[in-house]
Amino acid sequence: MTKKIIDITSISHTFADGYKGINNISLSIYKGEFIILAGKNGSGKTTFLRHLNGLLLPDSGQLFVNGNDVKKHLVQTRRAIGMVFQDTDTQIVGDTVFDEVAFGLENLKLSRTKINDKVTKVLKNLNLFHLKNRAPFTLSGGEKRKLTIAGILVMDPQVIVFDEPFSNLDYPGTIQVLTTIIDLNRSGHTIIIATHDVETVIYEATRIIIMEDGHIKEDGVPFDIVRLLESYGVKEPSTSKFGLGIQPWRK
Amino acid sequence: MAQITPFTYRQGESILHLLDPRCKFFMICLVSMSLLSAHLLACFFYGVILFFFFKNAGLNIFSTLNHIKYFIVLLFFIFAARALTVKGDIIFSFYELTITGQGLKEGTLVTLKFFLVMVTGILFACTTKSSGVKNAVQWFLRPIPFIPEKRVAVMISLSLSFMPIILNQAKEISEAQKARCADLQKNPVKKIIRLVLPLLKKIFLSADNLVLAMESRCYSDDRTEPEFLPSGREIYFIGASIILSLGLAWF
Repeated sequence: MTKKIIDITSISHTFADGYKGINNISLSIYKGEFIILAGKNGSGKTTFLRHLNGLLLPDSGQLFVNGNDVKKHLVQTRRAIGMVFQDTDTQIVGDTVFDEVAFGLENLKLSRTKINDKVTKVLKNLNLFHLKNRAPFTLSGGEKRKLTIAGILVMDPQVIVFDEPFSNLDYPGTIQVLTTIIDLNRSGHTIIIATHDVETVIYEATRIIIMEDGHIKEDGVPFDIVRLLESYGVKEPSTSKFGLGIQPWRK
Repeated sequence: MAQITPFTYRQGESILHLLDPRCKFFMICLVSMSLLSAHLLACFFYGVILFFFFKNAGLNIFSTLNHIKYFIVLLFFIFAARALTVKGDIIFSFYELTITGQGLKEGTLVTLKFFLVMVTGILFACTTKSSGVKNAVQWFLRPIPFIPEKRVAVMISLSLSFMPIILNQAKEISEAQKARCADLQKNPVKKIIRLVLPLLKKIFLSADNLVLAMESRCYSDDRTEPEFLPSGREIYFIGASIILSLGLAWF
């Protein structure tokens, strides 16, 4: 049986202004899954994702990562669950590509030799090594997104969470990032992607979760869910609409 | 893509690029202070030295001057204020306005000093990574009690790293306003308020996102210690900067 990584029981979160971000969510996430978290704007996707990384803590309910309570094991949680944010510019802190990837490892207090080795390995794996001395803000959108993935990957996470990974990317940039995400999933990482544009990734997904008003409305395999997407304000892939089923987005 | 500002680090292999940031920090402080009491000839001499390092660092002088054109306008006002207010031998008189020989000389000296300090700062910023600045600040502040040196250093380095992004955001806001005929507004105060308020909002939002991104990668003050890679020439540069400073102060 596949290993359970995340176990969530009835978590809710209410913001200071009284707005309920997520409400009574329960689910389990297993190793190797490729999950799409879909829903229209304001459905609670980002709030939910931030709970997985311990950036937000639930007001009620429990969230366990590898059997550890997130509230009590924040560092272990953040090592296990890497998060790639929507806006790449505001999450890049290093002034070269190399420094940016090294940031997380410096936080974990690894030795300088180990940091250099791990960063070099990840940059080579993601085909970013030739850019190691470049200033991140001079990179293209796709390269920047790959850099943020490298910054997470170097910390050896089991799960990588993406918040709208294809926003503001052109076609080559989207292909670049999609290919990286698929490769990560094939190498054993669990992937969770929050998006309202499911067409790009639905072919690769093993599971779709649909959120609305902070609740989980649907949770199942893409084949069963795809026709329900539009009733929750999410665009159904064109191929499915025209009766061609779920087709790969990239050639 | 974010803008390159005069204070943005440029990749290079020049003498200054390879110098330990602590040494550059020490030199810039020493020389800037001794410039305060320097005479005109000494300032010109220092200008020649700066010119050499500017060329050596591969920086474009005209492009830099273009970037700091508003600062040069400010210098012109300082020069005019000095030329018109210092008493001495009158060269030119028009109603109540009198320009004196002493005023012209003092105005030239003050503006030249401001200009040289500014250019020295630009040279330092262009040849030192913001992580290098951070490491140097942390190293210098460490012996001073009650100052959280790591936090101060990170703040300085983040301010430097985010400068291009902030300028880019300012440009975007300004262009969006121009697209809606904001140019028709002639009142400069209203123009500034219209630019600054949305810009501040964006900066605070970006800062918020940055905090989350850093937290999600386990950021804390207790990190891997910074690494300094001295080029071996530091001792000569320190010696030369001490001699130069004494020279500037005396002549």
